[in-house]
Amino acid sequence: MVTKTTATATGQKKARNERIRRLLIHAGLVAFGVVMLYPLLWMLSSSFKPTEEIFRDPSLIPSTFMPGNYTEGWTALQHPFHHYLLNSAIVVAGAIIGNLLGCSMAAYAFARLEFFGKKLFFAIMLMTIMLPIHVVIVPQYILFAKLDWINTFYPLIVPKLLATDGFFVFLMVQFIRGLPRDLDEAARIDGCGHVRIFLQVILPLSMPALATTAIFTFIWTWNDFFSQLIFLTDPNMYTVPVALRTFVDSTSQTSWGPLFAMSIVALGPVFGFFLAGQRYLVRGIATTGIK
Amino acid sequence: MSALLQRRPVTSGSPPSAAPATPPQPKPRRWAPRKLRETLTAYGFLLPWFIGLFCITLGPILASLYFSFTDYSLIGEPSWVGLDNYRRILDDERLHTSMKVTFIYVFVSVPLQLALALALALVLDRGVRGLSIYRSVYYLPSLLGGSVAIAILWRQIFGANGLINQILGFFGIQGEGWVSHPDYALGTLVVLNVWTFGAPMVIFLAGLRQIPTMYYEAAAVDGAGPVRRFFTITIPLLTPIIFFNLVLQMINAFQTFTQAFIVSGGTGGPSDSTLFYTLYLYQKGFGAFDMGYASAMAWLLLMIIGGFTAVNFIASKYWVFYGD
Amino acid sequence: MRAESPSGRPSVRLRSRTLPLAAALTALTMVVSGCGGQGGDSADGVVELRFSWWGSDERHAMTQEVIELFEEQNPGIKIVGEYTDWASYWDKLATTTAAGDAPDIITQEERYLREYAERGALLDLSQLDGLDLSKIDPLVAESGDLDGATYGVATGVNAYAILADPQAFADAGVDMPDDDTWTWDDYVKIAAEISEKSNGEIVGTQAMGYNETGFAIFARQHGESLYTEDGKLGFSKKTLEKWFQYTVDLLESGAQPGASESVEIEAGGPDQSVLATNKGAMAHFWTNQLGAISASSGREIELLRYPGETEHERTGMYFKPAMYYSISAGTEHPEEAAKFVDFLLNSEEAAAILLADRGLPANVEVRESIVDALPEADRRSAEFLAEIEGTIVDGNPPPPIGAGQVVDIIKRINDDLMFGRLTPAEAADRFIKEVEDATKAS
Repeated sequence: MVTKTTATATGQKKARNERIRRLLIHAGLVAFGVVMLYPLLWMLSSSFKPTEEIFRDPSLIPSTFMPGNYTEGWTALQHPFHHYLLNSAIVVAGAIIGNLLGCSMAAYAFARLEFFGKKLFFAIMLMTIMLPIHVVIVPQYILFAKLDWINTFYPLIVPKLLATDGFFVFLMVQFIRGLPRDLDEAARIDGCGHVRIFLQVILPLSMPALATTAIFTFIWTWNDFFSQLIFLTDPNMYTVPVALRTFVDSTSQTSWGPLFAMSIVALGPVFGFFLAGQRYLVRGIATTGIK
Repeated sequence: MSALLQRRPVTSGSPPSAAPATPPQPKPRRWAPRKLRETLTAYGFLLPWFIGLFCITLGPILASLYFSFTDYSLIGEPSWVGLDNYRRILDDERLHTSMKVTFIYVFVSVPLQLALALALALVLDRGVRGLSIYRSVYYLPSLLGGSVAIAILWRQIFGANGLINQILGFFGIQGEGWVSHPDYALGTLVVLNVWTFGAPMVIFLAGLRQIPTMYYEAAAVDGAGPVRRFFTITIPLLTPIIFFNLVLQMINAFQTFTQAFIVSGGTGGPSDSTLFYTLYLYQKGFGAFDMGYASAMAWLLLMIIGGFTAVNFIASKYWVFYGD
Repeated sequence: MRAESPSGRPSVRLRSRTLPLAAALTALTMVVSGCGGQGGDSADGVVELRFSWWGSDERHAMTQEVIELFEEQNPGIKIVGEYTDWASYWDKLATTTAAGDAPDIITQEERYLREYAERGALLDLSQLDGLDLSKIDPLVAESGDLDGATYGVATGVNAYAILADPQAFADAGVDMPDDDTWTWDDYVKIAAEISEKSNGEIVGTQAMGYNETGFAIFARQHGESLYTEDGKLGFSKKTLEKWFQYTVDLLESGAQPGASESVEIEAGGPDQSVLATNKGAMAHFWTNQLGAISASSGREIELLRYPGETEHERTGMYFKPAMYYSISAGTEHPEEAAKFVDFLLNSEEAAAILLADRGLPANVEVRESIVDALPEADRRSAEFLAEIEGTIVDGNPPPPIGAGQVVDIIKRINDDLMFGRLTPAEAADRFIKEVEDATKAS
C-alpha cells in the first residue's frame, strides 16, 4: 500500500523501524515458504533417487544421483511423454477458452441484468456443483457415448464452453458485482448496449477475475484425473495425469523414480502458466484508466 | 471525487445497494417492455449456459435422482424400490460416522484455510518486494493437487518415523504415527487442506487488486489513516470475494474425496477415522456396486450442502457489500 | 456466434471485437475435431478389439509387445490396449460396463469376477471355438466357473506365502524356521525373538491381518473355508477368533510393528513393506510379488510355506489364479476376442514375453517352456510352487458377489483390533456380520 505520510524530521528512526519491520516480514515469509517448498524439494530429490532408495532413505539429498529416471520415465510408456503433454495442452487450452467465454457471459447476465427466473437459475447453477461426480459419471458416460464423444477431447472441452462449471460463473459474478455500477451506467448514458458494456467495460475491468479463471482452469484441468481417465480410453489419447497413473501398481512394483521424475516434468507447465498468468492479477481500474 | 466517495458504504455508513445509483436514471422496474428486453438480453448471454444445462448437466443429475429410488448395481438394470435407499440411510452406522467426520472437517478446516489465505493475501498485497515469488511458492502445494505423491509425502511427514516426530524427538517428545492413528489421522488431513490454501489466496489477491485505487486516494484526501482505510474500504469491498470463498470452499470441503482417498488408500481408515462422506459414497457405488444407495447419499449430501449454502446466502445480506 | 447478444446492434467496432472471439471458437472446434477423429469401426475390414488390464509401465510394455506379435500373425485384428492402475481400473470398468461400452477382452480378478459374471456382463468362454482351455492347470482350471459356465480363465497361478529375508534373520541371530513343520505358535515365537534379539531394529513380521487370504488358508487348515461353494461363509467363529488372537499376540510380544505403524506400512503396499525397507524379517505376500519385493529390498528374499500346514487337519495353502482373462458379453467380435485370449494363454511366444508377469502361466505346457527363461526371483517362486503343488488338497471356491468389499472390511476390523477397540471375539462377530451383509445376494 502506498503510504503518503508526512514523515520528515523524525524520519531516520522511523525509517530504521520500517526497515526492521520489513526484514521481519520477509523473514516470516521466507520461513513459511520453506515449509511450503518442502514437498517440492522432496519430490525433486526423489526424482533423482533410484526407486528402491526412495523409501529406505528419506533424506533430501540422494546418495546416488540418478538423472536416468527422467530419460526412463520419458520413454517408459507406449508413447514418449511429450505426447501426453501435448494431449493435456490441447484439453487445457480448450477448457480455458471455453471457461473464459462461457462463464463470463453467464456471469454478466447474473451480475448485471434483471430477468425472469434469475434467482431460480442461479440456484440451479450452484446446485449443479453440489453433486459428487461419482453418481453422475455413468449417465454422463452414456450421454457422451450417444454423442460418439468417448475417446475424444469433446467431453472435456465442450461442457466448459457451455459454462457448466458453476464455480467460475459464480467467481465472475462476484467479481463483476464488486465493480462499481457507475462505470457501466456511464457507458449506458453514452448509448452503449449490454454487449458493448460487457465487452468494453466489464471484461477489461475483470482482468483479475479472468486471469484467476484461466489460472485455475489450467491447474485443475491439468491435474484432473477422474474424468480424463473415464472419457479417454485409447492410450493414444491419454493425458498427463492418466499417463502418470500408469506407472503405479499398488499390487506389485510401482516405478516411483520415473513417476516422480515425470511428475516434476508435469509440474513445469502449470507452474510456468501460473507465473505468467499471475502478472495479469493487476490492479483492474488503476491500469485501465477509465474516466 | 468526494461526491463519489459519498456513495460509498464505508464513509456514508450504509450498504451500497441501499444507495441510489446515478440520480437521473429512472428505475426501469415497472416498465414492462424494457424488462422484457432485458430478460431477452440476459437469456442471450445465458444461451451457452442454457445449452450446457439442458443438454449436458441436467440429464445426468436427474438420472442420479432417479437411481436414488432404485436398486442399481451399475452392471445390471435399475429396479424401482421407492424410498428404500433413503430409509437405509437412517440406520447405516458407517454413514453416520462419515457424516461426523465430514462435518468436523468442514467446520475446522474451512475457517482455518480461509483465515490463512486472507492473512497472507493481505500481507502480500502490501507491496512486499518479491511478491510474485512468495505468491508462487505459497501456491506450489496447491499445484500438486491429487498427485499420488501426496500420500507418500504425508506419511513421510506425519508418519511414526516422519519429519514431525523427528523434530519432536529433538525435544525429547515421543510422537505418535499421526497419519495412521485413528485419533489424529483426520487432523493431518485438515492440515493437508489448510496447507493448500493457494487457491483461495489467489482469489483474495485478485479481489484486492480489483478494488479501485480511487477509493483509497479519495480516502487519503479525506485524511483516513491506513487502519481506517483497511476497515472502511478494503474489507467491505472484499466481502463479495470472502463470501465466494466461504461458499465454495464449504461446498468443496463437503465433497472432499481425493485427499482422503489417496492418503488412506481408499479405505477411509484407520478405523474409519477419515471416512469422508463422498469416500463412503464411492465405496458404496463402485466398491459394493450399490449405485442406487450411493445416489441417495449424493442427494442427501446435496440437500445438506444446499441448506448450508442457502444459510450462507441469507446471512450474506447482512455482511456482504456489492458495488451495484 | 453466441458471444453476440441478440439485442446487440453490431457496430463496426463491435464486429472487430468479436472477430478474435470467432477465430478462437473456430480454432477450438478445429483442434477438438482434428484430434477427435479416432476410434469406432474401421472401414477396411480390420476388426478392432479393446483389451483392458491394470498394472505399471513394465506390464504395459510387455503386453504391448505381445499385442504387436499377435497383430503380426493376425493381420485382420487390431488390439487397442486400455490400462491404468489397480484402483482406477475398477472405476473405469464399472462405468464402461454400466454404459454398455465395456472393453472386448477384460482382465478380471477373483474378487470381482462373480460380480460381473452373475450380472451377465461376461461371455461363457467354454462356448467359444478357437479358445482351448484344455491345458490349464487343473488346480485353477475351474476357478472361473459359475453355474457350469466358464466366465474367466486363469492367466497364471500364484500362492499366498511367507516371504522371509535370510539376512534379517542372520542380523538378529535367529535361525530360519523349518517351514515343513512349523506351527503358528512357532511363527509367533520366532517373530518375537527376532524383534527382541535385534532390540527392535528389525521387526519379526509385518502385520498379517489385512488380507483375508491369510485367514482363508488358516480356515482350510482347520477343515473349513472362507466361503463355501454356494457363496456362504464356511468357517466357525472359533477359528476366526483364534486367527485374530494371533495378531494380538504378535502385537503384545512386539513381534510385529505397533498399530499405527502397521497402518502406515500397509498403506504403502509391497514397495514399502518391512522387507522392502529392510526393517523386518517376514511378511505375507503372493508368490508373484517376490520379484518386486526382492528388487526393492536389494536382498535375496526367500519363500516359506505358511505356518501350520502340518499342525491341524489338513494343509491350507492353495493355488490362486493371479488374474483372469474374460470376454465382454457385449463384444461384437467374440470369435476374434477368443482368438486373442487363446494366444495369450496357449502361445509359447506370448509367454516368452510375458513370463511370470500375470502369475506363473496357467497352461502347464507353456509353463514348462518358459521356466528356464524366468528371472531369478520368478524362477524361485516357480520352484516353490512346484514344491508345494503335491501338498495342496484342492482349489478354493470362488468368492461370492460382494467379496470385493471384504478387503476393506477386514482392514477396518484389523485396525480396530490392533488399536484395542475390539477383542478377538468381537472382531470375529463383526467380521461375520459385515461379510454376510456384503455378500448377501443383492
